[in-house]
Amino acid sequence: MKKSWMSAVALGVVAGVSLAGCSGQGGSGEGSSGGPATLTFWHGYTEADGDVLQSIIDDFNASQEDVKIETEVKTWAVIDDTLLTSLSGGNGPDIVAMPAERLPVYAAKDALKSLDGFYADGENADAINDAAAEMEEVEGSKYGVPTGFVPLSVFYNKALFAEAGVTEFPTTWDEWVATAEKLTIDEDGDGTPEQYGLALADHETVANGVWPSLFYGNGGAIVDGGEAAIDSPENVEALTYWADAVNTGKISPTGLSGIDTDELYSSGKAAMTIGGPWMSFVSADAGIDYGIAAIPAGPVDQASSAIGVSMAVTAQADDAAQAGAEAFFSYFFSPEVAAEWSLGSGWPPLTDDVDPAAVAENPTVAALTEIAPTSRALLPGVVNSSDVLAAMDEATQKALAGGDPAELLAAAQEKIEASLAD
Amino acid sequence: MRRNRTRSLVLRLVGALLMAAATFALLLPVIIIVLTAFKPTAEVNAFPPTLAPGTWTLDNFTRIFTELPFARLIGNSFVFAGGVTLCALVFDSLVAYALARIDFAGKRLLLIAIIGTLMIPFQATLIPVYQLVADLGWVNTFAGLIAPRAADAFGIFFLRQFFVSLPQDLDSAARIDGASEWRVFRSIVLPNAVPALLTLGIFTFVNNWNDLLWPLIFTTDAEMGTITSGLTLLTGPGGIIPYGVMMAGSLIAVLPLAILFLLVQRRFIESVATTGLK
Amino acid sequence: MTATQQRSRPYRPPAPLGGRRRPPGGTRRRTTAALFLGPGLLILALFTGWPMVSALRLSFTDASGFGQEEFVGLDNYSRVFTDPQIVQALGNTALYAVLFTPAAVALALALALLLNRTDLLGRGFFRTALFLPFIVSLAVAAFAWQYLLDPQIGLVNYWLRGAGIRLGNVLQDPVLAMPTVALVAVWKSFGFYMVIFLAGLQDIPGSLYEAAKMDGAGAWRRFASITLPQLANTTTFVVIVALIAALQAFDQIYVLTGGGPYRSTQTVVMEIYESGFKDLDLGFASALSYVLLVITLVLSLLQFLVAGRRAERD
Repeated sequence: MKKSWMSAVALGVVAGVSLAGCSGQGGSGEGSSGGPATLTFWHGYTEADGDVLQSIIDDFNASQEDVKIETEVKTWAVIDDTLLTSLSGGNGPDIVAMPAERLPVYAAKDALKSLDGFYADGENADAINDAAAEMEEVEGSKYGVPTGFVPLSVFYNKALFAEAGVTEFPTTWDEWVATAEKLTIDEDGDGTPEQYGLALADHETVANGVWPSLFYGNGGAIVDGGEAAIDSPENVEALTYWADAVNTGKISPTGLSGIDTDELYSSGKAAMTIGGPWMSFVSADAGIDYGIAAIPAGPVDQASSAIGVSMAVTAQADDAAQAGAEAFFSYFFSPEVAAEWSLGSGWPPLTDDVDPAAVAENPTVAALTEIAPTSRALLPGVVNSSDVLAAMDEATQKALAGGDPAELLAAAQEKIEASLAD
Repeated sequence: MRRNRTRSLVLRLVGALLMAAATFALLLPVIIIVLTAFKPTAEVNAFPPTLAPGTWTLDNFTRIFTELPFARLIGNSFVFAGGVTLCALVFDSLVAYALARIDFAGKRLLLIAIIGTLMIPFQATLIPVYQLVADLGWVNTFAGLIAPRAADAFGIFFLRQFFVSLPQDLDSAARIDGASEWRVFRSIVLPNAVPALLTLGIFTFVNNWNDLLWPLIFTTDAEMGTITSGLTLLTGPGGIIPYGVMMAGSLIAVLPLAILFLLVQRRFIESVATTGLK
Repeated sequence: MTATQQRSRPYRPPAPLGGRRRPPGGTRRRTTAALFLGPGLLILALFTGWPMVSALRLSFTDASGFGQEEFVGLDNYSRVFTDPQIVQALGNTALYAVLFTPAAVALALALALLLNRTDLLGRGFFRTALFLPFIVSLAVAAFAWQYLLDPQIGLVNYWLRGAGIRLGNVLQDPVLAMPTVALVAVWKSFGFYMVIFLAGLQDIPGSLYEAAKMDGAGAWRRFASITLPQLANTTTFVVIVALIAALQAFDQIYVLTGGGPYRSTQTVVMEIYESGFKDLDLGFASALSYVLLVITLVLSLLQFLVAGRRAERD
């Protein structure tokens, strides 16, 4: 480690002044040189999925003697907040997992190593699901491997469905809105329902995927082939359709974020919500008998934006570390481990060679695996994804608050064009 | 005279009642935190909402005790927040004394420069500070956590304002008797600034105890974390924190602070009594 | 291994004043001053001064925190004043400061004066109770507020609905969101400013009040002619600190609204955070920080001048 002269001064003076007494012994034992290469891996799998990941890593560590992976579990938000700083000081992880839409930013700023070599001839790399691998591509190179790729789906409250006499889950938008209207109850007739058919977020939606899913359903897109495409007539039509359903049909409150929709659904005040696989735990915690269904098909297409998580090798890793990381990736995508991870995480398998029967024991996974082919990566390769998503959020939130969809999408188009050009 | 006394008693009662009402309104969020900590998860988001739990549960607390190295984190918090507070009180009061009571060239400019450092958002200097601490090899050590905050412009500015307003004749007598600056500082100015020192001490302690980003970034090792940064490890499905657990955790985290303040605020009153003011 | 070291011309920490030279007058004073100043200033220079110089240098580059960085001249600064989003954030920050600063200072002073009355029943209890919001961590306080204000399942809305009042979704209302965020911030911080005022009030000699009473001065007159002037240093401090806090508003906005709805609560420091830590554009974040520093400095100097002039008059 290089020590600048400033550091030397600081060390001498500060220690001399008073702090010698304050400093403590920190840090666990570092891997000694000569042993296996020790890699640090940051991820945000904090639930049962974290335990499964840990046991996969333990098995990997035991299976060979060259590489040892040490995990540090943080939350996804904490990883995003601390990754830049820790890498800048050379104390970051060698492998890091992050929400897939954050990957292009780090890749474009040289914080991640290219994995093109791994995709070309790494063991098991060719088994990775193509749609999932698309998330990892930035400017023609791949910078990560998927650890999660799951379509958004609808979670519904079976008790409320039964009360309203609904027996079939809707499969088209029109049926969906009709069902939601049936489930919307305004007992005192004051214009504000006590129970809503659907909790539809209009900003910061779950994994930012609600509106992309709806736009895909009508044949639209946010960014298409690297060009902004949010102001297409298809999108204007889709946004008008949903703004109308919310404003005249009152099927959902407005101004909701993704977290708000989860809460509204858990409180029993909304019969349906769009969410990720964890909503099965949330439902169970709240004592709700729930069902899972695909987002109903739009007029043009049945599609769903995927919640994606990627893991990548950071610029801090040297060649040996990168080789070690790639060995771990090969292990991770071997058929048995991929099935183990799918079951443990509750997410559909990431490779094409997992036998569906191997994951049939988990009903959530089975249900999600069935709708997995409709999933699409969110903004693959878009470096300024956070700006693009902010522009989309502004348009959808304003539209549901009564704004003009065409104008709002045109304004969003302009902003997205600007951020893509940056 | 007697009627006056009754009237003043009534006034005092009315005053206290008004204060109580205002206090309740101001404390409503705190009350919510305390009560939610004892609610089962299913009740937290239930509608219609309730203030008090229907069933009281300790589940939220049990979860924290089983999932976090609790004693360790609280201990770290004490070392970190306490260390910063002690160091900062010593260094800040020395600098503030010189700025307030000793004449030297460029004093005003120095004061402005010190206050100026407050005006850059810490987000801007975070990475350079981190790189310096990393170069020193101090990541994951208490030294790395404490040193960058061992003196701070806020404290210097704060104490300087108090030292300036202490009456000059307090120390001129001592000076005539030939006391050194150090004597004046230690035995005249410091004892008279107890309320200010306590205030700054609480502020520094509370701020560092509750600080999230700093310990998160400077300690990659979970064992070195503070209670506040440790609580971020508690998450639920989809990264959504079960609110009851979060409230229980923060209740435990805030308890030492509340006790500390209770102790210190008694000293405030004592310091009034002993100096015989009012 | 390590990311590129950020280095520039050697930086000299402000030399402790004095030294070995022995010019005729005041040498001892200067040596004494240096001894008092030395340790604290050294720490400040290292861990605040030096990083500030680093950040200033970064503000002329396109640095991301790692990898290559190139000198880009004043590009970052010109972006600050031409990017409509930043201009909007500057306006939002000004609005926030106007809402927050006077309210926080006034509430803190009023409560401090009340709590300073020896005839207040339950004084110790109120002192502790009113300080509680300050010691609760902000993330948790934010949840409590969101929970109270939630338009669907929140307690306040539920109670108000009973009384026939509909509050609506205040945190998602482009007009009401900023006042609400400022309100929460006032709630969170008044306790601290209140304690500073309390400490300041205790340094006012009681004899002054006795004398004024003898002269027949009423309560208001005593407040205006004794309390306020005697508190001048404290007030200057509180106002400047509150102003700096307002101009650097981040935490409460980050947790309550995330800058929304429609960027109506997006402040300068939110932009700094997002460009630095989300877009990894450290150069621009540094430039924006320095613009904020200059604005804060100018406003604080004004406040100092006003306070200084007032002090001279007295």
